[in-house]
Amino acid sequence: MATVIPRIDVGDNYKEKYGFFDPEKFVFKAKRGLSPEVVKEISWMKNEPEWMTKFRLRALQIWDKKELPTWGADLSSIDFQNIYYYLKSTEKQGKTWEDVPADIKNTFDRLGVPQAERKFLAGVAAQYESEVVYHSLHKELESKGVIFTDTDSALRDHPDLFKEYFGTIIPPGDNKLAALNSAVWSGGSFIYVPKGVKVEIPLQAYFRINAENMGQFERTLIICDEDSFVHYIEGCTAPIYTTDSLHSAVVEIIVKRGARCRYTTVQNWSTNVYNLVTKRAVAYGDATMEWVDGNLGSQITMKYPSIYLMEPGAKGDVLSVAFAGKGQHQDAGGKAVHVAPNTSSNIVSKSISKNGGRTSYRGLVKVYPGAKNSKSFVRCDALLLDEQSRSDTYPTTEVDEPQVRIGHEATVSKVSDEQLFYLQSRGITRAEAETMIVNGFIEPFTKELPIEYAVELNRLIQLEMIGSVG
Amino acid sequence: MAFTKAAVEELSALHGEPEWLRARRLDAFGVFEGMSLPDTRRNEDWKQVDLKALNLEAYAAFQQPNGLAPAGTLENVGATLRQRGTSPAVASIAPDLARRGVILMPLAAAASAYPELVQRYLFSAVKPERDKFAALHAALFSGGSFLYVPDGVTVEQPLVSQFWSGGPGAAVLPHSLVVAGKGSRFQFVDQFLSSDRQEATLASGSSEVFLEEGAEVGYVALQHWSVKTWQFANQRFHLGRDARLRMVDVALGAHLARLRVEAILEGPGSSADMKGLFFGTGEQAFDFRTLQDHVGPHTTSDLLFKGALRDQAKSVYVGVVRVEAAARGSSSNQANRNLLLSEKAKATSEPILEILNNDILRCSHGATVGPVDPEHLFYLESRGIPHPVAERMLVQGFLGEVLDRIPVPLVRDAVEQELAARIE
Repeated sequence: MATVIPRIDVGDNYKEKYGFFDPEKFVFKAKRGLSPEVVKEISWMKNEPEWMTKFRLRALQIWDKKELPTWGADLSSIDFQNIYYYLKSTEKQGKTWEDVPADIKNTFDRLGVPQAERKFLAGVAAQYESEVVYHSLHKELESKGVIFTDTDSALRDHPDLFKEYFGTIIPPGDNKLAALNSAVWSGGSFIYVPKGVKVEIPLQAYFRINAENMGQFERTLIICDEDSFVHYIEGCTAPIYTTDSLHSAVVEIIVKRGARCRYTTVQNWSTNVYNLVTKRAVAYGDATMEWVDGNLGSQITMKYPSIYLMEPGAKGDVLSVAFAGKGQHQDAGGKAVHVAPNTSSNIVSKSISKNGGRTSYRGLVKVYPGAKNSKSFVRCDALLLDEQSRSDTYPTTEVDEPQVRIGHEATVSKVSDEQLFYLQSRGITRAEAETMIVNGFIEPFTKELPIEYAVELNRLIQLEMIGSVG
Repeated sequence: MAFTKAAVEELSALHGEPEWLRARRLDAFGVFEGMSLPDTRRNEDWKQVDLKALNLEAYAAFQQPNGLAPAGTLENVGATLRQRGTSPAVASIAPDLARRGVILMPLAAAASAYPELVQRYLFSAVKPERDKFAALHAALFSGGSFLYVPDGVTVEQPLVSQFWSGGPGAAVLPHSLVVAGKGSRFQFVDQFLSSDRQEATLASGSSEVFLEEGAEVGYVALQHWSVKTWQFANQRFHLGRDARLRMVDVALGAHLARLRVEAILEGPGSSADMKGLFFGTGEQAFDFRTLQDHVGPHTTSDLLFKGALRDQAKSVYVGVVRVEAAARGSSSNQANRNLLLSEKAKATSEPILEILNNDILRCSHGATVGPVDPEHLFYLESRGIPHPVAERMLVQGFLGEVLDRIPVPLVRDAVEQELAARIE
């Protein structure tokens, strides 16, 4: 009789599935390291207006002055002068996959992006190194006034809209890495959804780092006008190199009155990538912002998607899942800042550590004076799968308004012996039982994903049956 | 006299301390001089602590003479030690306890009478190097109590230390050193009191408690300094194999009451039950930092810090549960609940888990901040209970969970009275 042995092992087949790399080809590659010259060169290559060049240079000055965070993961081993900050692989952006250079198209084919587009996406962006190489949007949405383009094109084609919002949610001075991104940003998505337009099918961006010692600094700006809806999904992978790459994005989102925005991330960088991302949304009256944030890859991730609840009735949800395997540290979480009365937030974090991996939940709930009748609840559950792994929980709650209800609960546990025993007593093998329990543990996350993604995620976590014996 | 080397020597002479203790004080004073005040912006351990209005220069190391502790006898206690300011303490102990080898005496006297014991334990847990205030405390501690309960001795009635502040402008830095022999059982109470509710002082009130194998110790600290006191205190408990600790911290006084409470569960099978109760009014600020450090296997800890804040009172709670790699089969719980009774009251809560081992039964924590539950109020009011009465009942019920756990009736009654007055 064939016995199936399921395994839980992120990154086990990473090399074959995502870890391949193409020979490095580029039409332009900036000098290694960071300097005003490199920043000016990037801006010049992109033929940007003067205000943006100035913005970048000012951000670089802020970068020089600010210090790296002393809390969280250990960032001391990043050599910022050993990184290429800009790499352009192709001269023009494709409107159809045929326009994309063959080797790059091949990469995205292997990653399954065009297939996904055909099946269930309303629009796709594909970023390779520093530039977006492919972009498409359903005609129907275009005619409704939806803008879905790369951020560089947006600066060129929609200058007023761009300037009105760019850098307003996360100014360069926000933190050192936001300053870095502001200085050298390239690519990313720009989305504008007009009043009352509901984009029922998700839009997707796929980010790929191919070159070694590469820094990817995409910049995403999403504006949901009143009563609109959009679901944006991002995925990311990179080849496995022995030296480190850096991914430091800035994502700014504005959700206006009555609108709803959902932002889903399935982060699966290779384990030589430092993933240091600043994500923030502001939600106005009765608007809803949802971050669905899955962190499976990278060596170190520091990412705390945040929501500023600016007007009464605004609602924010963060659902964060982290998986840390060997040598990984996932320092993830969420922030909710209640500025106005009658706002609510809900943060749920699920983390799994295995093979000496470390997951940390780090979060903030802040309630300003006058934000009466606000509610916030934070729940963190962590699962440790073996002796060497580690889990931490660092929630912060700051409340300056008494008429609120704030709660935080966290648990850390191992896979329960009783549950295992129960399943095993029903004839299920230990490994299978463990998989079932882990699957159940992260179910609140998988059920929020579009079905195709849920399947993909299960594949990523490799809760799959491998091999058959006997 | 300000915080000077001469003050250290004078204080040591006043208590007739042995040479080794004088030398230790001077070492600690060196540490004090070499340190600056904690950086409340950068130092995580001191974040959110407002030290702006603190001026160490404004306090004298001590004031002599500062009179005796108020007279009066406590009923139903096994032994008492009373001290005011830096005046040498007065201890009395029931004859049968003394006969069984129980020692409760002024720390200075114990340093001469039992040098090996005191030398071994004193400031081995609460080290002067931790911060400037801990160094000051070790250099200029006003005296304090030394309690030793021999192996296998059970003391039924509580043992009580009472410390009164030593007058306005004088520092009062009492220290309690408690050694619980193997299998001993007793309850110990530290009371920190000000005769004048408005006098400005700088205070500590630190304790080191060592539980040897199988010891069962109840520890209660009642902090009721004046409302103009700056308190910086450290309590640290070391638990041996199968030792059991039940402790309650009650914080009622001080302008800023900073208290570190740390239980180090080293011995396999040891367990700690830690409770905190606070009620802030006016402009009081509380700052609690707790640690449940699971070092040994099969250790358990349960912590609950609860409090209510009224007027502009503030509280900060930062608590760490740490389960070390060797602490197999451990379980831990940590909860902080804050009740806000006015518009301007503020509570910050930061419960932290650091789990380095997966062979744990369960580790969990929770924190809540909010006003009296409107649904509960509505329920009571719908039963004809007027709003103020209903609110009082709910606050009493909220605090009762910890209040009822104070194992010593003497303290429980005193706290209950004070809380009733504040709830009104």
